[in-house]
Amino acid sequence: MTTAHPPAPLPRDPGLQPERTALAWNRTALAVAINAALVLRAGALGGAPLFVAVGVLLLLAAGAATAYSAIRKRQLLRAVGTPPQSSSLALLLAAAVTLVASAAGIASILTIR
Amino acid sequence: MRNPQWRQQGEEPDYRFTLANERTFLAWIRTALALLAGGVLLHQFSHALGPRWVVVALAVLLAIIGAVLSVIAYTRWRANEIAMRTGKPLPHSVLLPLLAGFCLLTAAVIAVLMILG
Repeated sequence: MTTAHPPAPLPRDPGLQPERTALAWNRTALAVAINAALVLRAGALGGAPLFVAVGVLLLLAAGAATAYSAIRKRQLLRAVGTPPQSSSLALLLAAAVTLVASAAGIASILTIR
Repeated sequence: MRNPQWRQQGEEPDYRFTLANERTFLAWIRTALALLAGGVLLHQFSHALGPRWVVVALAVLLAIIGAVLSVIAYTRWRANEIAMRTGKPLPHSVLLPLLAGFCLLTAAVIAVLMILG
């Protein structure tokens, strides 16, 4: 009787890497949403429609990050072998959104009351 | 967006390390967003604290550091990717002690304002 080859071991956490990465995007979306709420509050209280517009833009960005979290999870779960690289565009956009939020935050601190 | 030039060099690292680097970038971005939110919250909700100019200066400083961190987050992610691709050691950074020191300073200033106010 020949001993069957043991099946090749599966990668240790094929499902957890995508999950952690998707959750990290989700938490980032939440942090963007908090800043969106603060900019919206500044705009509403200070009667500054520009801040309201930026707040809405940041809310949309938070929604986009949430959607990207789901997309990234599916990309990573579906991939066999080497999953797709990090998208430098997605990361650049995340940094850019944070810069926009910072600019709005600084402007609201300096101009409102 | 075209694949950046630096992606041509070296070898693709283990995907777990690539993803860890992506998550580290996101952690820095969240730190930036948290500092920013802290600054704006301080400005919007701290009317009992004074002198006002100190509060405004601290809030602006927090927001500026948030902005700077968002740029550093991207450049560090990129530097880490390149280091992993080319098999070099990860870049050394004094960012963590600096950030910890700044958080301590912020907490101290707010504590002093609360005691004096």
